[in-house]
Amino acid sequence: MKKTEQLTDSMFNIMAALTKPRHGYAIMNLIEETTKGAITIGPASMYTIIKKLLKQEWIYLYDGSDSRRKTYLLTEKGRRVLEEEVKIRKLTLQLAETGLKESEE
Amino acid sequence: MRQTKYVISGGLAFSEEKDMEKLRKLSLKGWHVADFKFLGYSLEKGESLDYIYSVDYRSLKEGEKEEYFDFFSSSGWSHIASEGDIHLFRALPGTKPIYSDRDTLVEKHENLNRSMKYLAIPLVLITLFVWVGTMISTGTLKSFLQVLAVILSIFAVPAAWTLLATYNNKWKVKEKKGLVNLLKTFYFLLFLIAVIILLLGVDSNGAVRLLASMVFGAVALPTFIWIAMSLFIKQRGKGA
Repeated sequence: MKKTEQLTDSMFNIMAALTKPRHGYAIMNLIEETTKGAITIGPASMYTIIKKLLKQEWIYLYDGSDSRRKTYLLTEKGRRVLEEEVKIRKLTLQLAETGLKESEE
Repeated sequence: MRQTKYVISGGLAFSEEKDMEKLRKLSLKGWHVADFKFLGYSLEKGESLDYIYSVDYRSLKEGEKEEYFDFFSSSGWSHIASEGDIHLFRALPGTKPIYSDRDTLVEKHENLNRSMKYLAIPLVLITLFVWVGTMISTGTLKSFLQVLAVILSIFAVPAAWTLLATYNNKWKVKEKKGLVNLLKTFYFLLFLIAVIILLLGVDSNGAVRLLASMVFGAVALPTFIWIAMSLFIKQRGKGA
């Protein structure tokens, strides 16, 4: 599948948290806990990205019954985008890891 | 009785950061912003507290507000007031910023830029159209159009000015220094052209001269006010 737009780090992180239905606050918390506070997402950034992902149809409104805490989930399309992105990120991660190891020797 | 006072805004498109810094300083003195008020903020007297402030620009439909404000409150930002698409928030120092990456920060400025565009561009076009009308018409129609053109310009010039400021903000965040400098050059050239027309009186028509004096006024007046206010604030800073 051809991607229309490059995934930013924040978009990637949020999509990574949406393999299960979660609301905005839960997403922010999960990202912060997983990265031990290294990555935090501000509320305005969060809201902007949620709107964008909905528009791209990479996520959908899973449960809107609580208007304060709406939950979202990846769509099929979103899953494929995330999978593709994980592959690419693994490659650059490998590049960095092997490079660092080699320069140590 | 509750003590209140009013402070003027520098115009969010022009001095958002300065405004937010000013509100923080006022909170340290015990004056906390309670609402937006005509071209500024109304403040209420309370105890001295260190608060930081942020604004966001976003048009929210019914049913979107609760979630939007919940994102902020769960991140430690309490909502103070909204006016149209402008939302003001307050938090304790050390709270993470409302925008955590540059891409979304660029979109913030695009939001403001977009809403200004809808307002300013049609207004400027109509105004220019009426100005052209004054140049090609004669007699009563001419004087009527001239009055109309001046009135329209009073609104169109600040609107155009604000629109350019929102472009400036957007480009600054995007780190497009070339465009920011181009805009600065444009202001300078505009000012220069207006001065030359005024000095030489190139045009016997009157309309161009009138427009030039308005452009001159539109550049010189804010500059003058800005200088005067900076001096005043400095003076007061020394006194305090």
